[in-house]
Amino acid sequence: MSKKNTPKDEKKTAGREESAAKEAKKNEAAETKKEEAAEAKTAEAEEDGDGEINTDDLFKHRVSIDMTPDNSWFSASEGGLISLKIINAEGEEEFFERVVIRRSFPVTAPDEFLSVREPDTRAKGRGAEIGMIRNINIFDKATVDLINAELDIRYFTPVIHRITSAKEKFGYNYWEADTSAGKVSIVLNNPFSNIRVLEDGRIYIFDMDGNCFLIPDPTKLDRLTYRTIEIYL
Amino acid sequence: MKLMYEMPEADRAAYDAAAAPDEILMYCVPFNVLDEKFVKGWTAVTDRSIFCILDGKVISSYDLTRCTVFSTEVLYGNCAFYGVVDGTTTLICQFLSGRNLPRYSVLVQACEDLAKKRREAREPGKPVENKENEHFCPKCGRPFIPGTTICPFCRNSAEVYKKLWGLTRGLRFMLFFPLIVSVVSLAIQFILPAIQRVAVNDYLTNESIRPIGSVFEDKHTRAFLLIFLAIISIDLVQRILGVIQSRLSAIAGNKFTLMMRTLLYEKISTLSISSISHKSTGDLMGRITGDVNAVQAFMTGQLPSLFTQAASFILALVFLLIINPIMSMFVFIPIPFVVWLVRKFWSTMQNRNRKNWVLGYHVRLFLQDVLNGIRVVKSYGNEEREIATFNRRTDRHAASTESNALLFDTFFPLLGFVTRIGSYLILFYGNYLLFKGTMNYGDLHQFNSYANIIYGPLLWITGIPRQISAFLTSLGKVLEILEEQPEVADINLPIDIDIEGDVTFDHVTFGYDSYNPVLEDINLTVKKGEMIGVVGHSGSGKTTLINLLMRLYDVTDGAIMIDDVNIKDISQNALRSQIGVVLQETHLFSGSIRDNIKYAKPHATDEEVIAAAKLANAHDFIVNLPDGYNTMIGEKGYSLSGGERQRVAIARALIHNPKILILDEATAALDTETEKLIQDAINKLAKDRTAFCIAHRLSTLRNADRLIVLDKGHLVEYGTHQELLDKKGFYWRLVMAQRQDSGMLDKADKLLKAKQAQATA
Repeated sequence: MSKKNTPKDEKKTAGREESAAKEAKKNEAAETKKEEAAEAKTAEAEEDGDGEINTDDLFKHRVSIDMTPDNSWFSASEGGLISLKIINAEGEEEFFERVVIRRSFPVTAPDEFLSVREPDTRAKGRGAEIGMIRNINIFDKATVDLINAELDIRYFTPVIHRITSAKEKFGYNYWEADTSAGKVSIVLNNPFSNIRVLEDGRIYIFDMDGNCFLIPDPTKLDRLTYRTIEIYL
Repeated sequence: MKLMYEMPEADRAAYDAAAAPDEILMYCVPFNVLDEKFVKGWTAVTDRSIFCILDGKVISSYDLTRCTVFSTEVLYGNCAFYGVVDGTTTLICQFLSGRNLPRYSVLVQACEDLAKKRREAREPGKPVENKENEHFCPKCGRPFIPGTTICPFCRNSAEVYKKLWGLTRGLRFMLFFPLIVSVVSLAIQFILPAIQRVAVNDYLTNESIRPIGSVFEDKHTRAFLLIFLAIISIDLVQRILGVIQSRLSAIAGNKFTLMMRTLLYEKISTLSISSISHKSTGDLMGRITGDVNAVQAFMTGQLPSLFTQAASFILALVFLLIINPIMSMFVFIPIPFVVWLVRKFWSTMQNRNRKNWVLGYHVRLFLQDVLNGIRVVKSYGNEEREIATFNRRTDRHAASTESNALLFDTFFPLLGFVTRIGSYLILFYGNYLLFKGTMNYGDLHQFNSYANIIYGPLLWITGIPRQISAFLTSLGKVLEILEEQPEVADINLPIDIDIEGDVTFDHVTFGYDSYNPVLEDINLTVKKGEMIGVVGHSGSGKTTLINLLMRLYDVTDGAIMIDDVNIKDISQNALRSQIGVVLQETHLFSGSIRDNIKYAKPHATDEEVIAAAKLANAHDFIVNLPDGYNTMIGEKGYSLSGGERQRVAIARALIHNPKILILDEATAALDTETEKLIQDAINKLAKDRTAFCIAHRLSTLRNADRLIVLDKGHLVEYGTHQELLDKKGFYWRLVMAQRQDSGMLDKADKLLKAKQAQATA
């Protein structure tokens, strides 16, 4: 009976006849509550008795925290990666042997909104987010350096200084280039989709090896290099 | 895929110094990145440790007994290889994803295996082998043309030509006769200026000739008429030869294309699914149509031109030198300059045109994007912004088009002038000789004709290397398919058996890649007439199990037996014609419903078609269509709903009365009522045939005789529905999780009510 009545009740509460029906509703509400409690108890009992697995766990998520120097302490792990100690949302201290840090906006805001996560594993699948760093600069320099070192490994984007030779053959572009990571041979297929120009003029180039290269300011390139990429811009 | 590279000497020496003398090198693969620099290092895995070697030094090493879990992670621009050493995750090395990710995926498994064996003091066994194709040329390191194993730099052209020669068998005469004809026709063309010279020298400019008496009696007039006739007949013969050549070329080209296409299509059809699934449909279509066309165009168009152009160049050169060696110098002096200028002009134009094309492409892309989303644009009131963007793009395109047109219209006429520089020089020098009296009009005329001929081939030949390389690439792609060996092949003398329906999986292991088994050690015996439900999470290997039963792939280890005969011994034709399959993604061919149902049994009578449709509960909806069973389906015909398509597909599977029926999520797209109808049909059918039924919705399987539960490639449970429920294992959990879904709704309902009650109180 409560099923049918409840929606109506709500409407009435919103309406003007509040005081008139108050008494009656109180009684009803009390009844409903009792029923609910009883039902919930039996349900729990059933589940507890039924098996060792509580299916509710499937829908439980870690609460991502807003990371500040007051609740998160990053340190270098023995394996050369990053360990983390936090005070989690429940106020408990937690330690992670290894965390993974990802940029939310690797292109437009590399220092902001860093997502600190548990690593993905084959056994457990995608790792959960432990927390987010709003801006890396709220941490002390040592921490910033530590995090940036990790990010530099993760977001490996050599800067192209100069293209020393460019050939187009069989529909592929073969470039030799000097980059911040040394001399490389770049092979591009479909340059029109693999050379991306951002609104601020930066150019990202993705080659067939899975490399990603950056040209921060194409106007500062030498003539040959600029002419090589010019036709794709 | 290569898992054992040869290290350079210095690195090898470093390895030898670091490793124990009886250590066995199992794998050696490159790593590419260290400290934000590109490097050429090696990761060497032995039976007891991992070494990272760079520039003749071992930069790090790990004892396998201390390592447990290994993993790879795709980063941005590179990948990382991690190992858990003494319980701490450690970055072992970084490498490039495109080149080495598959290699390190193998290494992850292999290292874990080796570490485990080492800890248990077992033999390391043999290194894992991987049959997957490389994507990079082993010789030069450059990437192959995607989807192929052709390196455009290292391919052996001679070999490709040899294979092409083999392919032309039966058509050789037709393909090469036109070449001869065109050369003959060309040679005749060269006689023309010589005759013209005679006409000019002996008659037109010969003042001593004056017609005397009757025109027909005069010997000069007769000779002149003869010359006149010769010129006409040469022209005529040339045109006739031209017609013959074109006709032969057309026929030969067409036959060649037809033959290549048929060969390719036959080959693709007989290739196993495993080889085809590596290539996209678009790629295969491209090879059958585009690449074959390119090869044909070269054989019948560019190759004869190459012949004639080369021949005319040589002939013209010879004649020029014969007539006047000194004057020929004047022809050649401007050639380098002219060729350079023409190439420069065209490459500039090409770049500009390409850029123009890109700008136009951006405009089209924008239009497509915005017009498709016009409702979104309007509902957000963003018309102004989109108009501005469109204007900006069209303006840029218009500006580029204009500047290109201006450049072309200015320089193209100038280019024409420049190419004639040689002629002016000849004219100048020739006239000088004329005045001096060392040359006559006829010779000058003949010389000038040949000089004009020589420029054509020269300019044409500069474009040839590009055409040849495009042709070789297309030919390579075609040959690659023609030479591929089907992985799943019939044995010699396969058996055609009438299947009864007993199926046995005997220690079946299978992986699409050897390092990543999808199914491991599956053992199962199914009696004829049983209905087996296959249950498991997505990715647990359900569909793979079915693919193996149909022998779309061959098992890696173990055997599948039907009626105690290994399916490898049964001919693929006999096997598949006795298995009926309904997949989740139904593909119906364009044509009528009747044709589609008859697809599995082309000679079926209409009665059989109706019977099958009735069994699949499709009959009622079909007869209610205006065209009944003759309803055309496909783009321009009637479009069937998901449930209707599925029922037609089931009818198609039933019509040849298969002994084994496979339903892979066949009823997932149907509403509960239709599903029930089909379930009833299936239950009827399944009585005298073996059925395998994959379903996510577990309620679909309530009538199955037995259920098998797969998890991560292992058969974890099997038994009847009730047995499995009593077991409270994996299946029970799946059932509970599905109940939870509906249970969650009830719970949310209750919570809401409680809250409302509180609010009222």
